[in-house]
Amino acid sequence: MKHELDGANIHIATGGLDFDPTKPVLVFIHGSGQSHLTWVLQTRYFAHRGFAVLAPDLPGHGLSGGAPLTSIGDMADWIDGLLASLGVAQATLVGHSQGVLVALETASRHPERVAALTLIAGAMAIPVNDALIEMSQSAPEKAFRMMTSWGHGPGAHKFDNTQPGHAFLGYGRRVMAQNDGAALHADLVACNSYDGGKDAAASVTQPSLCLLAGKDKMTPVKFGRKMAEQISGAQCHVFERAGHFLPAEFPIEVNDAMAAFLSR
Amino acid sequence: MSDDYKFDTLSLHAGHVPDAQHGSRAVPIHQTTSYVFRDSEHAAALYNMELGGHLYTRISNPTVAVLEQRVAALDNGVAATATASGMAALTTAVMTICSSGDHIVASSRMYGANINLLENTLPRFGITTTFVAPDDLAAIEAAIQPNTKIIFGEVIGNPGLDVMDVAAVAEIGKKAHVPLMLDCTFNTPWLLKPIALGANIIIHSLTKWMGGHGIAIGGAVVDGGNFHWGNDDRFPTIAGPHYAMNEINFHEEFGPAAFTAKFRAEGMYNFGPSMSPTNAFHILQGIETLPLRMQKHMDNTAAMLEFLSGHDAVAWVKHPTLPDHPSHELVKKMLPKGAGSIIVFGLKGGRDAGKAFIEAVELSSHLANVGDAKTLVIHPASTTHSHISAEAMVEGGLSDDMIRLSVGLEDIADITADFEIGFRAAARVAAKAAE
Repeated sequence: MKHELDGANIHIATGGLDFDPTKPVLVFIHGSGQSHLTWVLQTRYFAHRGFAVLAPDLPGHGLSGGAPLTSIGDMADWIDGLLASLGVAQATLVGHSQGVLVALETASRHPERVAALTLIAGAMAIPVNDALIEMSQSAPEKAFRMMTSWGHGPGAHKFDNTQPGHAFLGYGRRVMAQNDGAALHADLVACNSYDGGKDAAASVTQPSLCLLAGKDKMTPVKFGRKMAEQISGAQCHVFERAGHFLPAEFPIEVNDAMAAFLSR
Repeated sequence: MSDDYKFDTLSLHAGHVPDAQHGSRAVPIHQTTSYVFRDSEHAAALYNMELGGHLYTRISNPTVAVLEQRVAALDNGVAATATASGMAALTTAVMTICSSGDHIVASSRMYGANINLLENTLPRFGITTTFVAPDDLAAIEAAIQPNTKIIFGEVIGNPGLDVMDVAAVAEIGKKAHVPLMLDCTFNTPWLLKPIALGANIIIHSLTKWMGGHGIAIGGAVVDGGNFHWGNDDRFPTIAGPHYAMNEINFHEEFGPAAFTAKFRAEGMYNFGPSMSPTNAFHILQGIETLPLRMQKHMDNTAAMLEFLSGHDAVAWVKHPTLPDHPSHELVKKMLPKGAGSIIVFGLKGGRDAGKAFIEAVELSSHLANVGDAKTLVIHPASTTHSHISAEAMVEGGLSDDMIRLSVGLEDIADITADFEIGFRAAARVAAKAAE
């Protein structure tokens, strides 16, 4: 659906059904240089299983207008503002990668808005190599290629895919290329300069689920485990063969784990 | 893995990881029509495109999916769908994009069945085509109308061997917001990956060089993921509410793979042009050696060009790598590894001499295919292009005396010796005609 927020036209994937705020709300928050397309195999699935799904494209990403946001704090406030503008008092936040930082920061700044957290392939901090930050500005196509290559696990590199005929690497690069030219750089700078993750994780009181990828080169699993340890009572599950793009690489397993958590 | 696997590696591995239960190293042939659902939730999810997976082999099959993912990998696409034949691939791709009242701009110099589909069959369904020379960029641009939905051509034309400037035509398409669809049967991704040059949809007859052994018919459609279907309202069935699945919007739901999502959900579902799992297995065996075969095809083609160009019996020889070919300069830039292993030539003595040649050769096979590991010869005017009008033949640059040679992988000395047998027969016919 389309939604006006802060003067920008925002695209929100709702899983093929009209948004119904009377259902429990799931908010999917994408990672650096990504869009709602991270969640292709989650949005329709959960929308057709009793949830009101919101997978927004952050400003300057995917099909959303507006200028990319430049800090994790701004993104957290934006998520809170988006939910307020849609009349959503409380929602479960599902973050991937940078979206994990945003979910943690939203829970820290706006705890009343957050019912629960699912943190996928993330950590409390995501430092970014200076060369990649520079490349995201000077040669974005090269940065898309590098991140997509590093971001996928061994099965994805052999084009093993639950979606018949689909190719992770080519698809991932095209998803990134659809964003505003400044989006990836803004995201990487935001990730690199964010240092509130540890405090945010410590402040979480909501039920939390961490889903981690054993072959994750972007947010290595040891940092994901530290995040899970920092969050009081968090459940943690590691998918040993998965790369960073866990929601697409192991969708059935991710959805099963999420469904079990959500039905707790 | 911190970088993508390279072409030769992908030819062997892409699309397949040995399964945990049996560990079969080769791709198993899943000779089944259907798949047991985990539970009713799983069944509903598959039918509603909530998850990937297989529900019925008309829509998808695990063996066929390996082939699809391998072809997508080799062409650098976002996805691919395999079909029963190359013509099924083309027809279903057109039907995925076009509706009655839509228009196509297409090369006038293509495979006879491609021309036939566009010229004679699709108009019955309200889809019309303007044919233009593939090397006339101004004509291509001028032929685009408000209802034009596809620009279509062959990278290397069959059998005239005209070469399309992919980057230049892609730029025209981009400007007009019309996707460039290319038949890449003659080039294969080993010679050229046109998506990198801006082409949007790739059509393959996998029957030819990709399979490479003349044992299985098959096709594929590769989605470049680089066309923005939602930029305007030109493609309402892809970037607007579709009748299926609660008015699904493929563009919004699947992003760069919108075309493929619709191709499978509507094209495979409703038209049913599916490939058999066994054919997919056979074609996969061929693709494993595609890089090795293509190199040998190119080596033998270069040797045959030298042999034919210097032979007294030969009136003319045409191949895009020859200096007198109009696409020679473009080929040097766009197809540095070679311009395919089809050579066309005419014999002194014309059509009758050509007929005598084809009937006299003993090693080369007289048949309708191309891209086999074995050397093949045919006379297009009386076979592959016999249903094309005389005007279209001329427009397509086809002459009555043309012989089409598909250079195989045999020892080059045996191919040239076989041709000498044919030339002697042709000379006898030519001498008799001169009496």
